[in-house]
Amino acid sequence: MREAEKTFISGLREKLVEDKIIDESQLDPDFAKEIVKYGGKDVMTCLQCGNCTGVCPISLKIDYKTRSIIKFCQFGLKKFTLETRWVCATCYRCYEHCPADINPAEVMIALRHIAIREGVIPPFIKMAATNLVKYGQSVKPDPEIERVRKELELGDVPSRDQEYAKVVREINLLVRSTGYDRLIGIESEVKS
Amino acid sequence: MDLATFAGSLGLDAITPALAGSDNVNSSELLGGNEVKRTPTEANGNSSGPRIGVFICHCGSNIAGTVDTSKVREAAEKLPGVVAAKENKYTCSDLGQDEIIAAIKENKVERVVVAACSPRMHEPTFRSCIQEAGLNPYLLQMVNLREQCSWVHSREKDKATEKAIDLVRMGVAKAAKLVPLEAREVPVEQSSLVIGGGVAGIQAALDLAQMGFKVYLVESEPSIGGRMAQLDKTFPTGDCAICILAPKMVELARHPNITLLSYSEVEEVTGFIGSYEVKVRRKARYVVEKKCVGCGVCADSCPVKVDNEFDMGFGKRKAIYVPFPQAVPLKYTIDKDNCIHFKTGKCKACVKACANEAIDHEMEDEIVELKVGTIICATGFDTYVPMKRGVYKYWEYQNVITGLELERLLNASGPTGGHLIRPSDEKTPKRVAFIQCVGSRNKKIGVNYCSRVCCMYSMKNAQIIKEHEPDTEIAVYYNDIRAFGKGFEELYHRVREEYGIEFIRGRPAKLSEDPETNSITIRAEETLLNKITERQFDLIVLATGLQPSEGGKRIGKILSLSLSPDGFFMEAHPKLRPVDTAIDGIYLAGCAQGPKDIPDSVAQAKAAAASAASIMAGKNVKIEPLTALIDESLCVGCGLCEEMCPYGAPEVFESDKGTKAKIVEALCHGCGTCAAACPQKAITANQFTDEQIASEIVSALGGIGVTAEKAKKAAKKAEEA
Repeated sequence: MREAEKTFISGLREKLVEDKIIDESQLDPDFAKEIVKYGGKDVMTCLQCGNCTGVCPISLKIDYKTRSIIKFCQFGLKKFTLETRWVCATCYRCYEHCPADINPAEVMIALRHIAIREGVIPPFIKMAATNLVKYGQSVKPDPEIERVRKELELGDVPSRDQEYAKVVREINLLVRSTGYDRLIGIESEVKS
Repeated sequence: MDLATFAGSLGLDAITPALAGSDNVNSSELLGGNEVKRTPTEANGNSSGPRIGVFICHCGSNIAGTVDTSKVREAAEKLPGVVAAKENKYTCSDLGQDEIIAAIKENKVERVVVAACSPRMHEPTFRSCIQEAGLNPYLLQMVNLREQCSWVHSREKDKATEKAIDLVRMGVAKAAKLVPLEAREVPVEQSSLVIGGGVAGIQAALDLAQMGFKVYLVESEPSIGGRMAQLDKTFPTGDCAICILAPKMVELARHPNITLLSYSEVEEVTGFIGSYEVKVRRKARYVVEKKCVGCGVCADSCPVKVDNEFDMGFGKRKAIYVPFPQAVPLKYTIDKDNCIHFKTGKCKACVKACANEAIDHEMEDEIVELKVGTIICATGFDTYVPMKRGVYKYWEYQNVITGLELERLLNASGPTGGHLIRPSDEKTPKRVAFIQCVGSRNKKIGVNYCSRVCCMYSMKNAQIIKEHEPDTEIAVYYNDIRAFGKGFEELYHRVREEYGIEFIRGRPAKLSEDPETNSITIRAEETLLNKITERQFDLIVLATGLQPSEGGKRIGKILSLSLSPDGFFMEAHPKLRPVDTAIDGIYLAGCAQGPKDIPDSVAQAKAAAASAASIMAGKNVKIEPLTALIDESLCVGCGLCEEMCPYGAPEVFESDKGTKAKIVEALCHGCGTCAAACPQKAITANQFTDEQIASEIVSALGGIGVTAEKAKKAAKKAEEA
């Protein structure tokens, strides 16, 4: 490495090249079709006007650009989209404003389906699924929550009832027979 | 109904036993199929029917690239009656046509089947070709191997060839049943009606008048000029709109060949090419046009002040008014809804003021009847009205205006004398934003098209604002910039480089108003920056798109014009007949046909005038004989045909034999609706008779090598269906 390069970019060089240039091999030309298969509309009709980002309540708070995600989808950058954070609240505001009549919120849901099938599963999803088969609800029963419920004069969560145990068993049966446990990777948690 | 009964009902008793018959009967002989080998020349020619020639076109590789044309030719050679079957690379070329003529002469061909493209393309070519060779032009049958076969089945070559053979067989079967027809000639009235007095209508009227034809121009507003008269300057050159339009308006009013019917509506149009009869309602102006000199003393005396529509509600006018100073005709009009006299029976201040006694409150609408040979429809456009509770808050924030409103605010003869102010406090705005694509390119509101003028008019207006107030900051929120015309890209460069106008790529998501300053903050993703920004502006201009005009829709119904999916009038062919309509003798000009700018409107108006003139110059016009015919002995005069016809061709009348219907040939388009509807089967559509169509169906069902079993199966299927 030449002296000047060492001074200015030092060991960053490799990383810079890797990050900044998108190789054609990273593109999946059929990605738009895959999104349609999982319930999204055709992202190719997007005009990239950015209206969806502008109206998105999430993108005002964190670095989350609906339009860029749709652009990644159009381009076939599957790898990038799989890493999309699961922050879309599916409020459908983007759908309400979209002049191309795409439903970006449903594209986000389709992307989640695809990510799960590709094995890119955020830890909190696994946790929620585990809670579901264990307690029959995605949120783990918690003494703190029970205390707040009591304060708000809400009834007990019937998680300890006999009836409820039956429901949990049925959930387990459903999860096992649909293969959801294997998809998410929680086979060990499911009671047969 | 099984197929046998169906065929029987069509009078095809010959095939009935074959279709209904036992398995042992080989129906193909009866169906006109061909089991026995015959040579194309002698044996076929000796059959009792007419001698048929089949000409198969390759259309370069358009057809031959998919369909195996030599197989089609071989199959055609074996068909009954066929005495010549030829292939050609381009049948429409001189060579191809010569071959048809030669076959007619040498092989004594009596019916010609051309298997090529859609009849919309070359039917006239081949008709005149066979006429040249001495045949009646209507003894031609086109078989569409391109649009309906090779283009749509390009991935299934074998099946496409099979279908092509079927189509040719059907064509040959129909050709055998064709009968000669004669085109009728009708005289053409040497006058034209132009509907709409915008720039397109004005230009079309002037051109026709210059060519020596009588022109009636009907305009619903008190003055001609249309939308162009409202504009300040025109893009990309910056010419003053009214300065270049007014000379044309004046010329039109003075032209001896033009009768201007302003403040009038077309009520009814009957007749057909060459002789349309038109009823025009001349709305009561309450001012006698001949007496009014346009001095304006009446308006000065009028006590009523209302918003001027011409100024988009910014300026005021009186209840007796001309919409703008350069109005043509410069005749005052009383707005009945606002005039005190019509409300209370008092006032009459204008009557006292008028020295020429031109004002007549007792005036009534008048119906004028015209007879014209051609009609030009130039009904123009309306601008999109932003939604009541839309994102851009047009109805909530005073400082959100539309492009056309801005035109009036910038116009020297407008309500502010050309000084740009913002509506809330009448101060000069320092920061102005344009929002593009409002009411265009939005699937949510069902407007999928680009309005073609908004990008450029926003740039032009931005430039004018900068010229008036150089320290104004201007931003344009756009999705895509469409600067496609002559000099347009140069204007785009000019406004960015010389005038420093900022272009922001992004569709605004939210507008919010500061309640104290009435300034408006736009939130949008600047997509090229990949950031959401909020910027404050004093005035927001919505670049509203173009929509089919309400008046135009009414005229469209009167003229029975068809519409494109975008709601504008549909041209006869998007490329080759862009100013014609599906109805002969009616032409389109300007934005009635689709959004366009002034040069395009003028060009189209000239084209429409030329098309209309080409009909009128011929003195007579030929009318296609492909019409419906009524057999009076079968007709019971029920009038169903009259109800069903989209063109108003059938007429029920009383004769000495009772109530009967007849077809006005010049109005009939030969669509066959009446023939299908007639409960008495009294109507036949020329060249689409039951016999001809049934022969096609029968040959489609029972081709070469058909068995009785197959026919039975088909019959069963038909029954199930």
